[in-house]
Amino acid sequence: MAESKTNPRPLPEPSRTTQPFWDGARDGKLLLQYDKGAGKYQFWPRPTSIHSANGTLEWRPASGRGTLFAKTIVHVPARGFEDLVPYTLAAVDLEEGVRVVGRLVGIAPEDAKHGMKLRVCWDRLSDEINYFAFEADD
Amino acid sequence: MADNFLQDRDIAVIAYSELKIQRRSGATPGEFAAELMEQLFEKTGLAPRDIDGVAVNFPTAEAGNTFYTNMLVDALGLQPRWLQLTDIGGCAPLGNLARAAAALKTGMCDIVMCIATDVSGTTHRRLGGFRAEFMDAAGFQGPPIAFGILSDAYDRKYGLKLEALGALAVAQRNGALVNENAVETFRKPITVEDYMASRMIADPIRLLDCVMRCDGGSGLIVTTTERATAMGVKKMVHPIAYSEITNFDPENSTPDPTETGFSVVGPEVLAKAAMSPADLDMFHPYDDFLIAVMLQLEQIGFCGRGEGCDYLLSTDISPGGDLPINTGGGQISAGQPGLAGGGVNLTEALRQLFGEADGRQVAGAKNALVTGIGVIPYFRNWGSSTAMILEAS
Repeated sequence: MAESKTNPRPLPEPSRTTQPFWDGARDGKLLLQYDKGAGKYQFWPRPTSIHSANGTLEWRPASGRGTLFAKTIVHVPARGFEDLVPYTLAAVDLEEGVRVVGRLVGIAPEDAKHGMKLRVCWDRLSDEINYFAFEADD
Repeated sequence: MADNFLQDRDIAVIAYSELKIQRRSGATPGEFAAELMEQLFEKTGLAPRDIDGVAVNFPTAEAGNTFYTNMLVDALGLQPRWLQLTDIGGCAPLGNLARAAAALKTGMCDIVMCIATDVSGTTHRRLGGFRAEFMDAAGFQGPPIAFGILSDAYDRKYGLKLEALGALAVAQRNGALVNENAVETFRKPITVEDYMASRMIADPIRLLDCVMRCDGGSGLIVTTTERATAMGVKKMVHPIAYSEITNFDPENSTPDPTETGFSVVGPEVLAKAAMSPADLDMFHPYDDFLIAVMLQLEQIGFCGRGEGCDYLLSTDISPGGDLPINTGGGQISAGQPGLAGGGVNLTEALRQLFGEADGRQVAGAKNALVTGIGVIPYFRNWGSSTAMILEAS
């Protein structure tokens, strides 16, 4: 069998908007943008609120808990994920009312069920960057 | 609802052209544009100085080139008074025809050349922004993975019968067999067993669920019906209704990914033309994935939500069937020339309406619904959805 090429796992490059997210991640905290006036969270971090005009956005810690909405078992990996294949990606509905897509950790593909309880965990990619993933929340 | 600016049939496509789709040509988008332009001039007798409007797609191969259209028209010897670059992914070719129609109606230009080219089989560029941070870096890279999760969401909601998608894959291959512009790799038949056995990419998305990234392009000349008639053109095709939407349902952070912009533009384009799905002679949907065709069938109204699988299993979609779909094989079987892919579906519709679809002509075809899909966002249906009804004169 031909040796499969392994690439380094890509690191996110924080922008001015997303730097607070990655600062929180480095400390093991999942932070989400919250529009105070609209009373709603949003993800992915954007330069403005999608819920209101000129809405005031602030960063709030999220519980990290959610449920599995949909999933796929990836056999042809994203670049940098070659040694993790097959891996399960899940669209997770967080308690705060936003959906986040992340890798499932410690859950066999056949055990990933719709509606199962999940909580955020972290893949340490570097000294500066932790990347979110999800594990079973028993 | 807005008026239908196309209802008077006063805009006319007078010629189309298409390159044979190749896996890896080594060409540039501009080189392909030159070939297409030469074909269009040969068909119409027009010359560069006659073209005063130009609309092009934004090829992946030109990503980062902020001066692409200027460089292109300079390379082609054109002097447009209206110049349009459209970056709504696969929606660009159809979107450009609509934008050209609007420009023609204002008098900004009189004869427009629309060109869509890309060489994704030869050149591929990585994208930044939220794509890189929250998709690529999460292992959530690329359309097949996104459609894997979308397919699972559909399966959870309605149940997904893979044999229905397999049947669609088999039927679309038949189109490629008689389409000389289809990429050679796919010009052989397959069976449902072949479909089920094809390489799994992101469960349930298999290799044969997806388009293959290729090189190619297509183009057309569009003008006013008045100008076309004065030129002595005998055969023309009119866009008669168009609808477009981008970032459908913008405030929803937990959208149902199976509800797309077609839930808006599908019914709307039919209403603008005062038509129902039964009035359509053909359907040429953007088909980057088999399941995308099925979702469009449901949301445009050929069948109800959750009925797409049964619809595909019970409907003859061949040129002589109940509803001919992508008679040239669609992008699924002809290949996807990158961000010019929408031109594959559009050009086949034009070819049919001009009566030039050798080996697969839909008898008496007078109209067609063509669609576009563009851009994979962060797990919310898809970015842009377009729909246009075309009618032969």
